[in-house]
Amino acid sequence: MSGDTGRADDNSPGGETEATRTDGRAAGAADPAGEDERTERRRPYTESSVIMTTVQVVAPFVLTFGLFVMFHGADSSGGGFQGGTVVAAMVLMLAFAFGIGPTREWFVNSAVVALATGGVLLFAVIGFGPMLLGGGFLEYSLYESALGIKKASKYAIEGVELGIGAVVAGVISGLFFAIAHGFEYREGEK
Amino acid sequence: MITAVDAALLVFVLASALATVFLRDVLASVIAFAAYGLGLALVWVTLQAPDVALTEAAIGAGVTTVLFLLTLTKTARPSAEGSTFKGIDWPAMGVVAVFTAALLWTVPAIPAIGDPEAPAWANPEVTQFYLDNALAQTGVENVVTAVLAAYRGFDTLGEAVVVFAAGVAVLVILREERFT
Repeated sequence: MSGDTGRADDNSPGGETEATRTDGRAAGAADPAGEDERTERRRPYTESSVIMTTVQVVAPFVLTFGLFVMFHGADSSGGGFQGGTVVAAMVLMLAFAFGIGPTREWFVNSAVVALATGGVLLFAVIGFGPMLLGGGFLEYSLYESALGIKKASKYAIEGVELGIGAVVAGVISGLFFAIAHGFEYREGEK
Repeated sequence: MITAVDAALLVFVLASALATVFLRDVLASVIAFAAYGLGLALVWVTLQAPDVALTEAAIGAGVTTVLFLLTLTKTARPSAEGSTFKGIDWPAMGVVAVFTAALLWTVPAIPAIGDPEAPAWANPEVTQFYLDNALAQTGVENVVTAVLAAYRGFDTLGEAVVVFAAGVAVLVILREERFT
């Protein structure tokens, strides 16, 4: 976890937010930023050492809490959806503090897609698995009787929660980046 | 029975909601809305709905605020010179007042928190069955999780696919091929 925030930090110093957007489509966004006085459009990102330091300290705890809520949904309040939203909120917090560009480079598209599709697939595999064993959909107890896994039902439910968490975390942070990118793209077009 | 904590929370939520509506500066309004989301999350905690509170804090106070801020930086921010607060739009105020009165009208019909006669218990075959058998049949202590991921897991799989589809739909609408 500390490695994750450390990587985001590596990209941040020196105010290179605009420069680090090597993506051709995003580069167009640098131009409207210069027209601040006329359009009253403010820079999307202003570097603040207070916010960066705070987020750097808080983010690992938020990620841990999100994972705890996800993993522990079977025995306490919370679950996949809640944990996923907390993890996604951490990604947005990083983008808020270190700029969307560096965060986007760290949280690459394939990771977002892997989270979203992997979560759905994990849920589906765990849910439909008992049918391969000759049972019904979601008949988790078959994992215990047929495969000999202890507490199979509980682990299956926790696996399902993790799948939901991955979908939610991936899609929410994906929506954020997609929406940010979409606006930049249209600004660059005109 | 309203405790001091409940009363303080309700006042905070009402005040931040009014600030969201009446502040002239859009940025200040967004920040007031984030405070409203946080206050509402605490209200959910006092109502013993921690699952909803977690979601409200992360989505209502966190994600929504960041999306609003993102939108603000991408659009022109109207000048907020002059007074801090907007004037009151009386026709809109009238509609809201009627709607609020209609909602308040229904409040006395809501059962008290923890009322054993609450209508949720009108179907004990289902509710009591989950409470009695969830731990033995699914092995998890949180009955909500047992219902979501086991008893009603089919619905939840559908919901996960809906969330996934929402992500795909946004990419389609934005004519993008990748998220980041």
